[in-house]
Amino acid sequence: MDTTLTEEEAMIRQSARRFLEAECNTRLVREMEKDPKGYPPELWRKAAELGWQGLALPEAYGGSDMPLVYLGLVLEEVGRALAPLPLHSTVVAALTLAAEGTEAQRAAVLPRTAAGETVLTFACYEQDPRLTLSGVQARAVADGDSFVLNGIKRFVDNFAAADFCLVACRTADATPGSDGLSLLLVDTRSEGISDNPLVTLAKDRQSEVTFRNVRVPKTNLVGTLHQAAPAIERMLDRATALLCAQMLGAARKDMEMAVEWAKYRKAFGQPIGAFQSLQHMAADMLIWIDGGNLLTYEALWKMDQGLPAAVEVSQAKAFCNEKCEAVVRYGQIIHGGIGFMQEFDLQLWFRRVTSWTMRFGTAYEHRARIARALLDVPGRVVLGQPLPTAG
Amino acid sequence: MDFGFTPEQEALRRDVQAFIAENLTPEVLAEMDGLSEGFGVRPGRARGGHVEKLFAKIGARGWLGISYPKEYGGRDGDRISQYIVEEEFARADIAVGLGGSGGPAILAAGTEEQKRHFVPKLISGEYSFALGFTEPHAGADLASLQCRAVRDGDEYVINGQKMYTSAAHVATHMYLMARTNPNVPKHRGISIFLFPMDTPGVTVRPLWTIQNDPRAPIGTTYGTPRTNETFFDDVRIPASALLGRENEGWKVGAMGLNLDRVGAARYLISVRRDEDIVNFTKSTRFDGYSPAQDPAIRDKIAELWIEAQVCRLMTMRSMSIVEHGGNFTYEGSAEKVWAPEHGVRTTEAIAQMLGPYGQLLNGSPAAVERGVFAHNLMGSFQSGINHGSVQVMHDQVARRGLDMPRS
Ligand SMILES: Cc1cc2nc3c(=O)[nH]c(=O)nc-3n(C[C@H](O)[C@H](O)[C@H](O)COP(=O)(O)OP(=O)(O)OC[C@H]3O[C@@H](n4cnc5c(N)ncnc54)[C@H](O)[C@@H]3O)c2cc1C
Repeated sequence: MDTTLTEEEAMIRQSARRFLEAECNTRLVREMEKDPKGYPPELWRKAAELGWQGLALPEAYGGSDMPLVYLGLVLEEVGRALAPLPLHSTVVAALTLAAEGTEAQRAAVLPRTAAGETVLTFACYEQDPRLTLSGVQARAVADGDSFVLNGIKRFVDNFAAADFCLVACRTADATPGSDGLSLLLVDTRSEGISDNPLVTLAKDRQSEVTFRNVRVPKTNLVGTLHQAAPAIERMLDRATALLCAQMLGAARKDMEMAVEWAKYRKAFGQPIGAFQSLQHMAADMLIWIDGGNLLTYEALWKMDQGLPAAVEVSQAKAFCNEKCEAVVRYGQIIHGGIGFMQEFDLQLWFRRVTSWTMRFGTAYEHRARIARALLDVPGRVVLGQPLPTAG
Repeated sequence: MDFGFTPEQEALRRDVQAFIAENLTPEVLAEMDGLSEGFGVRPGRARGGHVEKLFAKIGARGWLGISYPKEYGGRDGDRISQYIVEEEFARADIAVGLGGSGGPAILAAGTEEQKRHFVPKLISGEYSFALGFTEPHAGADLASLQCRAVRDGDEYVINGQKMYTSAAHVATHMYLMARTNPNVPKHRGISIFLFPMDTPGVTVRPLWTIQNDPRAPIGTTYGTPRTNETFFDDVRIPASALLGRENEGWKVGAMGLNLDRVGAARYLISVRRDEDIVNFTKSTRFDGYSPAQDPAIRDKIAELWIEAQVCRLMTMRSMSIVEHGGNFTYEGSAEKVWAPEHGVRTTEAIAQMLGPYGQLLNGSPAAVERGVFAHNLMGSFQSGINHGSVQVMHDQVARRGLDMPRS
C-alpha cells in the first residue's frame, strides 16, 4: 500500500505538464472552441511523439504497454491545461480494440493510432440519459458479408475528427444467456452517416450521429456477436475512470487559480484569502480533489491488476461529479463577478468541468450501482476488502 | 502508486481474523461490555480475568506495538502491518494501537531513559497516560493555556487545572502541557511533563458525559461515559519529568497530535459505524418494510460508502507518507476534517433511516443493535471537536496546503 507517486509516475506527470505549458495556452483553447474539428493536428502529432496515444497500448502495435494509471496521469494534465486533444475518446476506443478486437482489426488501427495518424471515438448513448445498455436501440442486421446499421447515437465525442467509431448496437433481442448486443468498428466516412454537432457547455465536439442503412463489413465485428455487454461495460468503466482523472486535473487547476486570486484580491483592507470563510471553502476544494484523486487512482490501479473495479469506478465518478462541480462553483464564488466574464480565463475551466460531471453516468446512477453491490448480494461488507460476490 | 497489500500483510490479516473468531468468547464480550470507553478496550484497563488473558495472548503473538522499535518493546515492523492489526481488532472494539497514548511523541522527543521507561510499558498496557492539554479557558486555542510549571532546584512545581482529562481516573501517568514561561509569545513558553497520577497534589474529579446514562454499548463512537477535570496543587515532580526541551513543548505536543491524527486512530473509529450501517440495512426488515429496497436509502448508503472510502484512502495516504519518512504538510489535518464530518453525516443519516427507532438507547425495549446508532449520534460530532477541531483543521489545510494568508 503506497498512495504516493513513484519516480516514474512523477516524471510522466511532470513531463506532460511541461509539454502542455509550452504548447497549449488558453488562446489555443479558445480558438479550438470555434474550430470544426476541435483540435490542432500539429499538437496531436507532437503528443504522439511523446507516446500518449499509445501509452497503454501493446508494444506489438506501437504502444508502450504502460498501466492505465500512467494514462490517468497524462489525462489529468490534459484536463489541467484543457488541452483540446481528442485523446480521451481515442484511447478509450483503442484500448477496447486492443482488448477485444481481432488481430486484423488491431493491426489495421492501433499502430496508426499510436503514431498519431488517426483519431478514434465510440458511441453508446442514445435517447436515454443514463449510461445503461438498456438504452441501446440502434440495430444492426446481418446481410451477406455486412451488417446494416440503423439508429441514432448521441453525445459522441470528436465524431467529425474521428476515422473510426466503435458503435454499440443491438444485433438480437436479449434472451437468457445472450444480451443481444454487439460492438462494430465503423468507418466514419461510410455511406448513410450524418453528423449533427451538438452545442455543449464545454464547447467541445460532441455529435448526434444518425446511421441510416450503413453497411459495416462483418470483419468489423469487435468481440463476440450478441454478447458484447461485458466488453461495452469494460469500455465504459475505462472511459469513466479516465474522465475522472481529466476532470480532477482541471478542477485542481481551477482551485489553484482561485487560491491565487484570493491572495491578490483585497476587500475590507485585507486579501480576501485571509477571511476564514473563504479559507474553509478553499480547504474543502483541496480535500475534495484529493479524495477524488485517491478514489480514481485506486479504480485505475485495480483495472491494471485485472481486479474487479466496477464499484471503484462508480465511487470515483459519483464523488467527482458532485465534488468537482462544487470545486468549480467555489472557484467562481471566490472570484466574484470577474469569473463570469467571457474574457477572463477561469470560465474555460468552469464550463468544461461542469460538462464532464454530466458524462458517463450521473451521481445517482453510479450510486445505484454501488448500492446494488452493497445491498443486493448476501454477505457482510467490510471496508477495504472486496465486496461479497454472488454465488 | 500501489493500492494493494503484500502477501505477508494479507496473511497477517487472516491470522488476526482467525484469532478474534476463536478468542472473542461470550465471556470475554460480557466482560468487555463494562470496560469500553468509546475507543476500544485497551490493555491495562482490563479488570477481570478474561480480558486480561486475552491481552496476554495478543501480546504473545507480538501484535502490540508492531511498528515500534524492538529495543523499546516493539517489533520493528512496518506501519501498514500495524495498521492491519489495529483495524481488525478495532472491529472487535479492542484497541491495540498506541493512538492517543503519548507514545509517538516520547519516541520522537524523549530522552533515552524516558523511551526505555515508558514505551515498552505503554505497549504492554502496564502504563497509560491521561492527556492534560485542555483547560477551562484554553480549548481550540490550546496555546493560551495557563497551568503553571515553575522550576525549583531539581524539581518543577505545578499549579493549575485541566479539563476533559478523559483517562485520568484509570491512567497511571499524566501527560501534561504547562506554561513554563509566561513572558514570551504564547507558543514559546510551553513545556510537556510526564509523571505518575498518584503524585501528591493531583486531584481528579469526574465529569459525566451524555453517554453515561444509560451507558453506551460496546462499539459506540465516542461512547465515553466519563471524563474528568484534574487539579494540580503544588505538585512537585523531578526535572527529569520534562519531555523534550523546556519551552519547546508546543512543538513536541503538536508532533504527538499530528502523529495521533493519522493512522488508524481517526479512520478506525468510523470503520465499525460505516460497516454497521450497511450490514444492518441489508439484514433488517420491519414487518413488510425492507430499508434496503428503499431507493432514497440506497442512494444515501452508497453516498456514505463512497465517503468512507475517502476516509480509508486518506488514512492510507497519511501512512504512506509516514512509511516514506516524510512529514505532513496538510494531509493529517485534511483527514481530521473529512473523517469527523463524514462521521456526523453517517450518524445523522441512519437516524433518518430508522425514524423513531433511532432514538432508542441501550437497554430500551425495541432498541435496534442495543441503541448503538442513537449513542453514535450523541458522540460522533465530538470527533470534530477534540484533537484539533474541524474548524481549526480547515485553517491548517488552507494555510499549510494552499499557503493562504493569515487574517
Ligand atoms: C469526550 C472528550 C474527551 C476529551 N479528552 C481530552 C483529553 O483526554 N485531554 C484533553 O486535554 N482534552 C480532551 N478533550 C478536550 C478537547 O480537546 C476540547 O474540547 C477541544 O480542544 C475544544 O476545546 P473547547 O471544548 O474548549 O472548545 P472551544 O475552544 O471553546 O471551541 C468552541 C468552538 O469554537 C470553535 N473555534 C475555536 N477557535 C476557532 C477558530 N480560530 N476559528 C473557527 N472556529 C473556532 C471551535 O472549533 C469550536 O467549534 C476532550 C473532549 C471531549 C468532549
